[in-house]
Amino acid sequence: MAIGADEMQAFLDGWQRLLAARCAEADVRRVMETPEGFDRALWGEIAALGITGLIVAPEHGGVGGGATELERVMEAAGAALLPSPLLSSGVLAAGLLGALGDAEAAARLLPGIADGSRIATVALTGPRARWIEDDVAVTAAPAGNGWQLDGAAAFVTHAEVADLLLVVARAPDGLGVFEVDPAAVATNALPAFDRTLRMADLTFAGTPATRLAGAIPAWEAVEAALDLARVAIAGEQAGGTRRVFEMTVDYAKARHQFGRAIGGFQAIKHMAADLLLESESCTSAARHAAERLAAGAEDAPQAIALAAFACADAFVHTTAQAIQMHGGIAFTWAHPAHLYLRRARADAQLFGTSDAYRERFVQALEQAR
Amino acid sequence: MTDDELIAETRAFLAANWAPGRKSSGEAYGRHPDSDFLQRVLDAGFAVPTWPRESWGRGLSAAQGKLIEREFAAAGAPGAGQDRSNLWANTAAAHAQPDFRSHIVPLLLTGRVGMCLLYSEPGAGSDLAGVRTRADRDGDDYVINGQKVWTSGAADADYGMLICRTDWDVPKHKGLSFFFLPMQQPGIDVRPLRQITDEAHFNEVFITDARVPAANMLGKPGDGWRVLMTALAYERSVMGDAARGPRSGKAGPKGDAALVELAREAGMLEDPVVRQEIARVTAYKILNRLNNARAKADMAQGNSSPIMSLGKLAMSRILHSEAALRTRLLGPQSMLEGPQHPCAEDANFLTLNAYFTSIGGGTDQIQRNIIGERVLGLPKEPELDRELPFREVKAG
Ligand SMILES: Cc1cc2nc3c(=O)[nH]c(=O)nc-3n(C[C@H](O)[C@H](O)[C@H](O)COP(=O)(O)OP(=O)(O)OC[C@H]3O[C@@H](n4cnc5c(N)ncnc54)[C@H](O)[C@@H]3O)c2cc1C
Repeated sequence: MAIGADEMQAFLDGWQRLLAARCAEADVRRVMETPEGFDRALWGEIAALGITGLIVAPEHGGVGGGATELERVMEAAGAALLPSPLLSSGVLAAGLLGALGDAEAAARLLPGIADGSRIATVALTGPRARWIEDDVAVTAAPAGNGWQLDGAAAFVTHAEVADLLLVVARAPDGLGVFEVDPAAVATNALPAFDRTLRMADLTFAGTPATRLAGAIPAWEAVEAALDLARVAIAGEQAGGTRRVFEMTVDYAKARHQFGRAIGGFQAIKHMAADLLLESESCTSAARHAAERLAAGAEDAPQAIALAAFACADAFVHTTAQAIQMHGGIAFTWAHPAHLYLRRARADAQLFGTSDAYRERFVQALEQAR
Repeated sequence: MTDDELIAETRAFLAANWAPGRKSSGEAYGRHPDSDFLQRVLDAGFAVPTWPRESWGRGLSAAQGKLIEREFAAAGAPGAGQDRSNLWANTAAAHAQPDFRSHIVPLLLTGRVGMCLLYSEPGAGSDLAGVRTRADRDGDDYVINGQKVWTSGAADADYGMLICRTDWDVPKHKGLSFFFLPMQQPGIDVRPLRQITDEAHFNEVFITDARVPAANMLGKPGDGWRVLMTALAYERSVMGDAARGPRSGKAGPKGDAALVELAREAGMLEDPVVRQEIARVTAYKILNRLNNARAKADMAQGNSSPIMSLGKLAMSRILHSEAALRTRLLGPQSMLEGPQHPCAEDANFLTLNAYFTSIGGGTDQIQRNIIGERVLGLPKEPELDRELPFREVKAG
């Protein structure tokens, strides 16, 4: 870990202050209705704080943090429902460039990602959308001095606002990572149920591309980036779960029916107790996965798979119960519960389903014996 | 009349009045697009056949009523079985004063008036007996002041079934009265509320010096709670029987194998986890149907059935678990919405709209309390303010 504990706490405090000041519920609602889906001014401040470069190495202008710092940062972002390309640019793309080992590309591209001036995203799954190697549906062929790409990528997050696309494609000699100018790609924006999210399907047709050199096989680098993204999402889920849980318990203390606080009814009290278990388990899973990944532990894949489905399910379940426990008020657009439910449902799909991660988890258990 | 004669008569009526294959979009907040046809159904005595002859019916048994319903269902024709399903007409028929009753019930049975339920208030949801909207007598009228909320269909309604307080010096359940409040008048201000489904079916209703003739009161002053119990029982039984389907406009597969078909379309039918879930959710649906059929059979024998109270809770579980399964079938596609993604639109809409059943009409938690206390006879939860004069009850 490049950052000391005190320093980290101060960093998180600053982050939480920024979110409290600039990413309150009203801000989220305003920003999610804009075409870009994020606040560029706030993005600048997020970058100034070092969040966009959190996991970028110091020699490329980053903070040099790892999975544990990332997870904590994402807890706060999830609690605030931050709409931003942080996951796409500061996690997936930064993680991929960091893992791949193309020194020239890293030196050229990472500083802009770290200081927020360049927004990047990664196109890696095809229409089957399982975010696994088999599903890559873009092919690369040599063309002149460079390459050209054909095929399709699905559910590419923040593609529409990206200045830089990293595309995973099948070259004749195997999988590679390609740098592409987003302007050269046909982008079909996807209407998302989570209105804080931006996604698009991309179509490549003879699209010019530059191949990045890899010190490790491309899919290994992708998996390394995905692991960071999984931990980041788990953190977001833990933060979102806790915020919704707290909101609900506060309401159960404040709302009176039949002459007493509704939290006084065992039906509500028991639901709240169960949700505390969900929320704490979600946090434990996310933090544990982050620690194992940061430590390069042998059981990291198992811990990450566990977090991926446990946190996804906890967030969906908690937001769903929260609506029930609030009653009619949470059936209104003006109440924030559904915004969290929408985020929870997107987070439960991004980079793989709970069912798929349960399978991965069991496979990891099998291999561990 | 024998069963066979009745069936023959029903078929002849339908053959003469309902073209084969004609579709009906069904009732919405009291109004029905096929009201001319419904008038003929009413005149022929098929709308409420179990009611007495002098009250729009034919005095048939519930079992014979069921035969008529079955013929109508087979022809896809609306209007039969309203003696079970029309909450507005049943409530009015049971409790309205004679003149208003003979005026309003035929209109309700022919889908000619828009209706809404003015029950919930900001401070009185589950605790409905805590309503603070007031009615004060003024000559032949009552004057109404207060605020209602979550009022579905209020924007176009002609009447609202209103529960409000006429006596503040008696305990909360005793001082309530129930009215058919004319909605189209200056003292009523309806403001739509945007729902999580991004629709605006429900509303806030601000009532300021609105007037309602005393003749529109159902029951007597102070009878409001009893009338409300009739109305709520019909509402809950309807909610336990059916719910709003997908809204994509795509009809989608129907019947017991619907989820199998959806799974096949999604390419997920071979997934063993999906197969288990299809079994679980489809079983919930079939078992609810069987439960309801048994309850109706008991009722037809003149016996009350504890199963009647279970339908709404069962339906809530069905809707939430079916929405979760549809989400699972779609995987990442479920992140999408809009007309180009009808399956995702349906899965997401059904996920959200399931709360209509698990919160609306009394929450699942309240429903469980009712089953525990009224059906099973378990001790009641203590209610601190139950016996206090309402004037002394603190606002929620
Ligand atoms: C889609 C929709 C449509 C609606 N349409 C109408 C309409 O047309 N007309 C109308 O009048 N109302 C309507 N309602 C309102 C509905 O009836 C109320 O929302 C419902 O009764 C709950 O009341 P509340 O929202 O005030 O929640 P509250 O009563 O505040 O309940 C909050 C939570 O506390 C729980 N709770 C409360 N009391 C108890 C208890 N004693 N034991 C255990 N748990 C308890 C509830 O289960 C819930 O989880 C509608 C609601 C919805 C969602």
